[in-house]
Formats: sequence, structure tokens, C-alpha cells
Amino acid sequence: MSGYVISVAIFVGIWVTLALSLNILTGYAGQVSLGHAAFFGIGAYTSAVLAVRYGQPFWVDFIAAIIITGVVGTILGLPSLRVRHDFLVLATMGINFVVVAIFKYVDFFGGAMGLVNIPAPSFFGATFRGGTPYLILVWGYVVFVWAVSWYISKSWVGLAFNAIRLDEDAAAAVGIGAARFKIYAFGISAALAGGAGSLYAHFIGSVFPDTFVFVESIAILSMVVFGGMGTLRGPIVGAIILKAAPEFLRFVQDYRFTIYGALLVLMMLFQPMGLLGDDSWLWQLLKRWFGKKTVAPSEEVAQ
Amino acid sequence: MPVFQNLSNALVLASTYILMAAGLSMVYGVLKILHVAHAAVYTVGAFTGLVMYTWVANFWLALFGAMVVSGVMGVLIYRGVYFYMLDAPRTVPLIASIGMFVMFTDLLQKKFLMGPYQKALPVEGAGMPALNVGVVSITSTQMLILVVTVALMLGVYLILSRTRIGLGWQAAAMDREMAGAVGVNLNRVVALNFFLGSALAGAAGVLVGAYNNSVFATMGDIVSYKAFIIIVLGGMGSLPGVIVASILLAVVENFLVASVGYVLPRDAVAFLVLILMLMFRPHGLFGRE
Amino acid sequence: MSKLIVQNVSKQFGGLRALNDVSFETESEILGLIGPNGAGKTTLFNVISGFLKPTAGKVHYNGQSLHHYHPHRIVELGLARTFQIVKPFGDLTVLENVLSGYGMPLYRRPQAFFRWYRTPVIERAADEILALTDLTAYRNVAAESLPIGVQRRLEIARALATQPDFLLLDEPAAGLTAHEAEALADLIRTLHAQGKSIIVIEHNMAFAMSLCQRILVLAQGELIAQGAPADIQSNEQVINVYLGKR
Repeated sequence: MSGYVISVAIFVGIWVTLALSLNILTGYAGQVSLGHAAFFGIGAYTSAVLAVRYGQPFWVDFIAAIIITGVVGTILGLPSLRVRHDFLVLATMGINFVVVAIFKYVDFFGGAMGLVNIPAPSFFGATFRGGTPYLILVWGYVVFVWAVSWYISKSWVGLAFNAIRLDEDAAAAVGIGAARFKIYAFGISAALAGGAGSLYAHFIGSVFPDTFVFVESIAILSMVVFGGMGTLRGPIVGAIILKAAPEFLRFVQDYRFTIYGALLVLMMLFQPMGLLGDDSWLWQLLKRWFGKKTVAPSEEVAQ
Repeated sequence: MPVFQNLSNALVLASTYILMAAGLSMVYGVLKILHVAHAAVYTVGAFTGLVMYTWVANFWLALFGAMVVSGVMGVLIYRGVYFYMLDAPRTVPLIASIGMFVMFTDLLQKKFLMGPYQKALPVEGAGMPALNVGVVSITSTQMLILVVTVALMLGVYLILSRTRIGLGWQAAAMDREMAGAVGVNLNRVVALNFFLGSALAGAAGVLVGAYNNSVFATMGDIVSYKAFIIIVLGGMGSLPGVIVASILLAVVENFLVASVGYVLPRDAVAFLVLILMLMFRPHGLFGRE
Repeated sequence: MSKLIVQNVSKQFGGLRALNDVSFETESEILGLIGPNGAGKTTLFNVISGFLKPTAGKVHYNGQSLHHYHPHRIVELGLARTFQIVKPFGDLTVLENVLSGYGMPLYRRPQAFFRWYRTPVIERAADEILALTDLTAYRNVAAESLPIGVQRRLEIARALATQPDFLLLDEPAAGLTAHEAEALADLIRTLHAQGKSIIVIEHNMAFAMSLCQRILVLAQGELIAQGAPADIQSNEQVINVYLGKR
């Protein structure tokens, strides 16, 4: 595989994990966040600072990024408890803005010039930045994040997430305290995004504040919604399509955002459940082609 | 000296916020949609004003034209997009709005429209008098903004409180289903809403473009974020609240930048205010629930 | 035995006094709560189950004060409720709705992360409840597509999954056919026979009178009468409230 393709695949992998992690917060738990890029950035900067200022090796940076971003995410989730649904979006936007402003104006984080010279990870003496080994690393993380998402969807925590998304009062009536689970959702989703940030930082070798602005949060949310919010397959496909397409189509590259925007609008008009959402045209088609035919008699009773 | 001058400048700044936020509040009030695309309407207004002014060299015509174009754009956005999403979960119209915002902003940056750079809008007060009241001096352009804002807000107030359709809006803002049940033609009310609200945004765009003598594709971003913050501050659906909140925000911004300087960018002030507000007074300073 | 004590409870919403000094006790019975619209019946339920804080007064359950308890904690104590306007988890199937109740002991524990909710043991228990509430036919159907009568049964089934000792049912018979209402009454009697205490808010007088052992009458936030159905039916104040001066 050419170096270019591998690089694209690495980027796509990182954004897949961003989409999957946001999906836990927004798709499962129903907390619409337009600030996910902030967590991405916190992970990236945590890694960068530990590597550049404290000379820590990759694995320390990576694990620390996950943990610290998770903690910060949990804390930043606290205001969300007080806030009505619509306002949560604004609050997360605000958090995104403030976090980037901190990166930009506080010298410790390198200010507007960012942090450079982040060393590549090394295993047993061999350093690698990019290339197939890094590709494996990133997609290994993809598998990990996917596994976490899948596991959550099967566990009581996942059921609780869905419950608070659907009806907080009904959830309380079965013993689910919305506050606790919202915090869980913020923490987990932030931690996973932090890991992505670390992988990004060590791949590029530098971090700049403007990478993590609000526009990026929009992009990540778009991937989730476009692919099918709340499902496991949706964010993966959404991220792959929306991240990889501009790389391969020159025409699209110039009009990238116009097409992006138009795509979102059209999607919401015709397939609001997402490309591979449960009731989407494509998913129903795929199920018909590849799935087993089961029509439970009880479904007919309900008609 | 600086205090009153700052206040005066803040009032001018507040005027633009008021126009933006009032328009947004009208739209949000009935549909409860976070109309992010409002920023695009604002920018299109500014651009239309620029084109018309270059064409007819009359500011008032340009302003009128911009308002009409923006208003129509708003109605089209409602009827063409939001209309089909009224019962969908919240994320759907939000993403659609974001999509429109991204699309229009990008298109406007293409060379055949605004291009990626800023353009000048040298209006110079359009015949408005400049004022010197003691230690405060108001330039003619500032006077222009104040006058237009007051006039427009008065107009909106009259429409909302005196006409039947305006009253229909107030009813629909309080309870959409009930309003429909008592015969309010929701579709028409909402369409008018979008027209008025978007026209206000268009006016804001032209005025700001004239004031800063610069019109560019991304000028709507920060203003629209602040409009949302103002709506939160002032309480949803409360026009007086919006006015007070706009003035408050503008005053705080001006004074903070003047006294504390550049610790954080001026726009971060707005967001910090937002976060504090959402944490301690989620219903706004004056809002009713 | 589980005893619920409501002591001088008042609830004020701004200028509106929704509940005014309401007191009663109940234990191992089927208690009916009736009254005209707007009397405050659902408000009372909301206060007892923790969805609203009383402006004054206290609620005790099994000797424990429920003051400051969040609704999800009160469920853990064994007090479950249904809603007047049904709130099913629409996207989830009937089975999953009921399963959600079984998680009640785990939601506040770390096990919530490690245990899966669909296990044979729990599914079996849920299926028992589905059988009890006659929902087996709808087991794998999404809750939002069900007719209202079925959704009402689902509300009760889900509450039962939390294994309560005390049930607060808010207008469980509303919108049901006569046949369904009779089945519901049987279900409530069965639950009572199993040892549960039940309070039922009901609009249908006949239904309430035939089902409940004791009746509370609420009007404009005040408890104007309590007693056996026969006594209530002949109580002058009650008759006035319903027929005469409204």
C-alpha cells in the first residue's frame, strides 16, 4: 500500500474512534454534544505536553491522555446536569470554545504556535511514525473502542443510557438516576476521544489549537448522524465516508464543505435515521439480502 | 471620559446583537429549533447589501433589499427544510441547520460570490447626523445603527402585539398545540416569523458590514454564537429580555476588554458568561419557563 | 408489612395550592384515590414517589422518611409507580422495557458495567411478568407501536419488574375497554393477594368502588373524605363535589 493510502487510513481510523466515542454520549445516552473536539484536543495536548515537556514515552502519554481526558470529561459533564436539552448543545459549544482558547492563550500549551517535536512511539528500540505499524496501532484502537461500545450496549449501563435518552422520568421510575449516567457517558466518551487525540498527536508530531475548534465537533457529530446515530455500524461508516471521500476526490476537495453541508441537509430530509440506521432504506435492504427471514406472529398481532 | 464613551459604543454593539438575537428568538420561540443557519442568513444579508449598494449607491435601498432577500431566504429554509422535521428528534433539524450553515458559508467563499477575502462597504453614515453630547461622541454610522435598530424593533413590536398574526405567534410560542387547536394558522405564523426574524438578521449584517467597513463570508460565526448566548441570558421568547441581555453582554465585553485587556479573547467572555449562566441560572436572567 | 404514611403534605406552585395539608396512612390494602380533575391526585403521587418536593409535610415509608430522596432511590426502597400519560421506552421492545426494571438493584453499583442485561435467568423472570400481565404476545414488539391499552399493561409490568412492595398506579384503566378493565382489576387483586399494597388513582367511579377496599377523596388539593366505598358513596360532601358545586 502506498504511503499516502496508509496515511489516509490512519486518519480515518482516528476519526472512526472519535465518531464511536461521541456515539456513546449522543447516540446511546442522548446527550447532544457539539464540543467533542475539545476532548480530542485535551487528549492530544495531554500527550503532547507529557512527551515534549516531560519526556515521557508514548505509552505513558497514551494512557495518561485517556485517563486525564476522561476525568476532565466527567467534570465538564457536571454542568450538563443542570441544563435543558437544547441548551446542552450550546453549553458544549461553549466548552469547546473555552478549551481551545485556553490552548491558544496559555503559554504552557504552546499558545498559538502549538507544541511541536512530539516524538514517534517506539517499541523495543524501533521507532515508527506512520506506516503500517502505526496503522495497526490505530486500527487496533478502533477495535478496542468498538469493543467497548459493543460491550456497553449489552450491559446494564447501556440499557440505562438508552433509558435516559428516551425518557428520564420513566428511567427514574425503574431506578435509573439520570445524573449518574450522564456523567458516566461524558467520562467514557471523553476518555476514548482522548486516546484518539494521543494517537493523532504522535502521528502528526505536533498539535495546534485550531485543529480542535468547534467546526471539528460539527464534523464528528455529522459523521455519527450521517451514518446512523445510536448504532455501532453507523458511526464507523459515517466516519469512513465523510473522512475518506474528500481525500480521494479532487473536485470534492475544493467544494468539500458545500457538499458536506448539502449531504447533511439531504440526509436529514430523506433518511434522518442515518445511512445505516435501523429504519434506513439501505439497512433494510441489506437485511433483506443477507438476513434471515423472521416474522414473529406477535408482530402481526400488533398490526 | 472613557466610561460614557464606552457605554455609547456598547450600545451600538448591543444594537447589532439585538437585531441578531431578536430574530433568532422569534424563530426559536415557536419551533424550538436551534437555528444555526441564522448566521448564514445574516451573511447573505450583508452580501446583498453590499451588492445593492455598489449597484444603486443608496444605503436605504440596499438595506431594504438585504432585508427582503434575507427574509425570503429564511422562509425558504423553513418551508423547504424545517417544515419536514417538526416532529423528528431534536438532532435532526439541528444537523440540517448545521448543514445549511456549512453549505452557505462555503459557497459564499467561492470566487463567484464573495470570495475568501473581505470587501469594503463604505457607507459613511448615509446621511445620519453625528452627535456630540458632552464627553460622548457618536459617529454618523453609529447613529445610523442606533436609529435603524430602534425603528426595526419598534416595527417588530407593533407587528407582534397589534396584528392578528403577531398575536398568533405569541400564542404559538407559548403552546403550539393549543394555538393550532384554537385556529391559529401555524404555518403562516411560522413563515412570517422566519421572514421577520431573518430580515432582522439581514439588517444586522448590512449594519455591521457598514460599521466595520468589511463584509466577508465567515462574519456570521461569532455573532450567531453570541445571539444564542443572548437568548439563553435573556430567556427564550422574551423580547425585552433579549434587549436587556444584549446590552448587558455588549457592556461587559466592552468594559472587560478596556480594563483587563487581552487575557482571553473578547469572544471567550461571552462563552464564559454562557457556561456560568447555564450552571447557575439555566432559565436565563428573566426568562419564564 | 410496608406502611406508607403521608403527613400534612402541602404542595404549592407559585400562587396555586395543589395540595393542602393532606394526611393519611395505608398498609397492605387496595386504596383508591378519586376526585375531580385538577384535584391534585397525580401531584400527590409525584410527591410520594419523589418527582416533586412537598412545600410542607413529610412522607414516611416503612419508618423511613422519603424527604430529599430522588425518585430512583425511592424505587429501590420498594415503592414503584406508573404514569398517567404512559411513558414506555419507545425504541425498546416490550421485553426490554420490562428488563429495565430488573436492573434496579444494579444501576448504582459497578456491576452495572460488567453484567449483561439479557441473561436467561432474567429473561425467564421477565417472561413470568409478561405472562401475568398478558403481554407475552407482544414480547418482541417495539413499545411505541403498541395500542394504548397494551402500553398501560406494559407500564405496570415494568413497575413490577422492580419487585416493589408498594404500587402507585395512576389511572391504569384510562382508555381501556370494559373487558381490559376487568382483566386489569383481576391483575390488581392478584398482586394484592401476593402481598403488595396498592394505591390506584381512578376516574371511573364504578371501577374504583368495586376494586378498592378503602377510598380517599381529593378535591382542590384537600382530602375531604376517606373510608369504605359504601360510606364514600353516601358522603354528602363527596356528592356535592362531583355533582353540585364544582
